[in-house]
Amino acid sequence: MILFISGLAIVMIASSHSADKKVYEIARLKNEVNEMRSAFIDGRSKLMRLKMESAVVIKMKEKGLSPSIIPPKKIKIKSQK
Amino acid sequence: MAVNEKGILNRLYFIAGCMFIFGVAVVFKLVSIQFLQGDKYKVMASERIVKDVIIPANRGNVYSANGNLLATSIPKYDIRIDAITPTLKVFEKHLKPLSDSLSKYSGKSSNYYQKEIRKARANKNRYYLLARNIGYSDYIRIRNFPLLNLGAFKGGLIVEQTTKREHPMGGIAQRTIGYERFDEKGNVTRPGIDGAYGIQYLRGTDGKRKKQQIGKGQWKPLSDANEIEPKDGYDVYTTIDVNIQDIAHHALLEQLEKYKADHGCVVVMETKTGEVKAIANLGRNSNGHYYERRNYAVWESHEPGSTFKLMAITAALEDKVIDTSDVVDTEKGILTFYGKKVRDSKYGGYGKISISEAFEVSSNTGIVKAIDQAYGKNPSKFVDRLYAMSLNEKLGLQIIGESSPIIPDPRIKNKRWSGIALQWMAYGYGVSFTPLQTLTFYNAIANDGKMVKPQFLKEVKEFDRVVEPYKVEVINKQVCSKETVAKVQQLLKNVVEKKHGTGNRLYSENFSMAGKTGTCQKDYRDKEKLNYISSFAGYFPADNPKYSCIVVIHEPDKSVGYYGADVSGPVFKKIAQKIFTDTPIIDEVESLKVKRASTEKEYESFYQTAQTYKTIMPNVVGLPAMDALALLENMDVNVKVKLDGSGIIKEQSISKNVKLKNNQTIVLKAS
Repeated sequence: MILFISGLAIVMIASSHSADKKVYEIARLKNEVNEMRSAFIDGRSKLMRLKMESAVVIKMKEKGLSPSIIPPKKIKIKSQK
Repeated sequence: MAVNEKGILNRLYFIAGCMFIFGVAVVFKLVSIQFLQGDKYKVMASERIVKDVIIPANRGNVYSANGNLLATSIPKYDIRIDAITPTLKVFEKHLKPLSDSLSKYSGKSSNYYQKEIRKARANKNRYYLLARNIGYSDYIRIRNFPLLNLGAFKGGLIVEQTTKREHPMGGIAQRTIGYERFDEKGNVTRPGIDGAYGIQYLRGTDGKRKKQQIGKGQWKPLSDANEIEPKDGYDVYTTIDVNIQDIAHHALLEQLEKYKADHGCVVVMETKTGEVKAIANLGRNSNGHYYERRNYAVWESHEPGSTFKLMAITAALEDKVIDTSDVVDTEKGILTFYGKKVRDSKYGGYGKISISEAFEVSSNTGIVKAIDQAYGKNPSKFVDRLYAMSLNEKLGLQIIGESSPIIPDPRIKNKRWSGIALQWMAYGYGVSFTPLQTLTFYNAIANDGKMVKPQFLKEVKEFDRVVEPYKVEVINKQVCSKETVAKVQQLLKNVVEKKHGTGNRLYSENFSMAGKTGTCQKDYRDKEKLNYISSFAGYFPADNPKYSCIVVIHEPDKSVGYYGADVSGPVFKKIAQKIFTDTPIIDEVESLKVKRASTEKEYESFYQTAQTYKTIMPNVVGLPAMDALALLENMDVNVKVKLDGSGIIKEQSISKNVKLKNNQTIVLKAS
């Protein structure tokens, strides 16, 4: 009887410890998610600034390229069977 | 006491009695703690190890129309150092490399950091700030600096993470995207969209959960489910188009810098829907740099000057008291009312001109005289017409902080009305509108008289589910009749297209636009402080307008220039041009099977040559280089072709009908 109860007690303690461990794991992962998110926004904001037309224009000036002053032409075929 | 049986017993009873009373006292105390004060202590105990943890909801993001992030919440880091934690040996060893790294990062000298950190250690400062509010990549970089890479216990690194609102686009449209900020007293400032929709959509609701304390400062949840589930904020999609915004921002910036102006704003609006595609507000700081200072377009009400002539003329045309072909005398450029003078910007005036021309050259005297003749006896009629065109009401914008328009009314006693109020109103003084209010009217003219409300929001979304779509809101179904609209549209077009028009310098052959310049005096009561507001309002293309746009620039340097067409016009033109060049011209073709006799013939002869000349040299003179190359390289013998120049072949090194050998080189000369 006593053996059984102490066995149960050990199981209980072990499972509560494993639950605690999971909490630590979750906290760690949450931190990681935050960091990843932060890195993502960081990268994205850098990309957004880089791909803005005004930024591209400045970069391309060195190579002698500038935005066209006439619009592109698109040829659309109405029926194609 | 005698030592006998009775004496011993008595002592025993006494001790036993004492023990019993003690026992009773213990039991009494236990019972009283358990039952009388039990609840109090139970609460105390659970407070120490169990608490309600607030699970903060994530604030929603603000996106542009095409899905670019405009505002989002991300973690930011403060890096500090505990200057005592590292041992003396470690500290001395790493101080110099750490300072070098820090100086490379921040630009301050290495000596500065060495001195400061040493001082912090001497002062027993365990919380010395190294960097505040830095992003993730910088955080990773600093964390790997010498000493700090040893961690919290050996190196004394302290990292604090806070969630901050970030605008990935930087300064662009910042005032319109906005934020919600709380100060220490709990007061909130909420400019822009982020501010206006904070409570309603973006914030979400915080959740709650009971948690029990376990080791390492962590808390574990007590039950499976949250008491209150956190609800993340919705995402807000704005109407702002990043490309147009980018152009508008930089075009405005360039012009502000050129004219050393105090501040200015640009708004681009889609004609049919009223969606605001771009809104830039730049003001100058004390160093002469421009930044998004206030939302001038929404907030700043000012006398519009000549851009208001459109409203005046529209009102008069609608009341049928004037017509565009009526002739007015500009009276040598000066009119006098009650001793006050109305002057034309051109000295000597324009002589006798039609009203349409007076509008196109922006003659103050011409317009004032026309309005004075039409409404002089009954100014209330003019004011009523302005009311009927919904000019007296706020737009009811979603963004907080819109100013009310001002229109003097002879029936309202508020000291705004005077003997010259009508005449001054005719050319835009005494009245006051925000740039966005002026633009809304111009947009109504572009939209054939239908006045729509400027929209900043496209929709509110929760992931992919649309929570609330925004629809076109009509302020006034028809501000004036179709005929009047057609007439003033022609006037606005002429301002740019006609040689004498004030906007003619903006004319471009490639694309059309229509608009009205405005050069308005500001602070004119004191000649010393006299300044100008240069504006340009209009729409493009002139026929079937797609966008309307207003540019207002305050206080340009008078020595550089101040006319609306020079200061504000170029911004307008740049935006119009950019949108024009970004929209492809679409040519529709019925079918790809088009036969052209000349092409067919060329192809036939090419095919003939290719079939006949498999191993002997054909005549390629006169053929395009492209065809000649294809011919020679597809023959049965492998030849090397050297081509000089491009275009039509002029010479061939091997003459016609000569048999070719493998790996032979043929030189072609082209023009």
